Amino acid sequence: MSEKKERKVSRKIVIPGEVLTAERKKLGANVFLREGKIISSRLGLLQEAADKISVIPLEGKYLPKENDFIVGIITSEKYYGYTVDINSIYESTIYKRDLQKPLKIGTFISAKVSRVNELHEAELSNVKVLYGGEILKVSPVKIPRIIGKNNSMINLIRKYTKSFIIVGRNGLIWMNGGNIALAIEAIRIVESEAHLTNLTDRITKFLEKETKVKK
Amino acid sequence: MRVDGRKNDELRKIKFEVGVLSRADGSCYVEWGQNKIIAAVYGPRELLPKHLANPYRATVRYTYRMATFSVPDRKSPKPGRREIEISKVSAEALEKAIFLEKYPNTAIDVSVQIFDSNASTRVAALSAAACALADAGIAMRDLVSAVSVGRANGEYVLDLRKEEEDAPDAVDLAMAILPNTEEVVLFQMDGIITKEECSRLLKLGLKGCKMVYELQKKALKEKYMREV
Repeated sequence: MSEKKERKVSRKIVIPGEVLTAERKKLGANVFLREGKIISSRLGLLQEAADKISVIPLEGKYLPKENDFIVGIITSEKYYGYTVDINSIYESTIYKRDLQKPLKIGTFISAKVSRVNELHEAELSNVKVLYGGEILKVSPVKIPRIIGKNNSMINLIRKYTKSFIIVGRNGLIWMNGGNIALAIEAIRIVESEAHLTNLTDRITKFLEKETKVKK
Repeated sequence: MRVDGRKNDELRKIKFEVGVLSRADGSCYVEWGQNKIIAAVYGPRELLPKHLANPYRATVRYTYRMATFSVPDRKSPKPGRREIEISKVSAEALEKAIFLEKYPNTAIDVSVQIFDSNASTRVAALSAAACALADAGIAMRDLVSAVSVGRANGEYVLDLRKEEEDAPDAVDLAMAILPNTEEVVLFQMDGIITKEECSRLLKLGLKGCKMVYELQKKALKEKYMREV
């Protein structure tokens, strides 16, 4: 019983076209106005404040935003720079003039999105090479939950697995050292239960149990 | 009384299930009476060849295909006139529901496969495709709910079966709406009817679409209850 209660859906699930409210409120993300009513445009969780209403999406692709911190993989070299897979609709570009050293194909990088055009194509800056490690692909809309409030969730996973983990806003997570298998397992749980409550407690319990067994 | 004992304004047993394919961005399986259909959505993704891309909006590519074993006689796997037509009109119906301008230069690929059929597959496929689009996290104005209505043996009936489609006086009308605004996005008809009959069928169809909408809504929300 208590287990069941713990896993409640944290907020109301809404679908595209569903009327959220007829009151006047500020429009947040993923909502639109029709005949004075505020309507959801995506499948997601309703986030309602006194003066603002928005929908947290549950599914969807990554669309780059300026100043996003992302993780990418170099896919090819051009004479002016490199193309990077950033898990979005298009590949992104790094210009050679912004780099001190040449890069190799297949290298993992972390970067900041410096500019996005109207076609959602991104330019990257602050490129740092991530040596070794491996990359985990997760749904980009679940990233805020994987990071947690004030990095609480990701710090928890870091603490128990002793891995270096870098989370990109685009849904790519770079991991190196420590107990990577456990980290992946924990992140997968967060991803699949992102819409449920008391997630941090459950992940703590899970990690405690797993690390105890190993010892 | 109808062939299968339904009332005139009663749907067949319909079951939507969302998120059945892990490779697709969004997917939906529907059992609509005897019809069994899977819809899968990929994208928004890069549209190739690039000259077909529209820099102002996304392009919806809808592929309706019937399996060779979905009909009593073997259906040729080659896409025929009927399938190409259904693909076109269904894509146009979905385009009305999607915020295309949010995804410039991209393709949204919807492909539906009919595994078993007994009339009204196009409306079942379209309803499933709308659920799959929502499951893919694509921004939409509304879902698309579709249903078939028609006349069979002098009765005005909702959701026709094959036997009713083949009645001597049969009129078969496939329609789809955006359920919250009641905007009609698909309206196709076989047979001859009067104006009065048409508006009567339209009314019946709107009622049917709303019933389908409730089922779609339930299926989409259930996905997140199920995973618990």
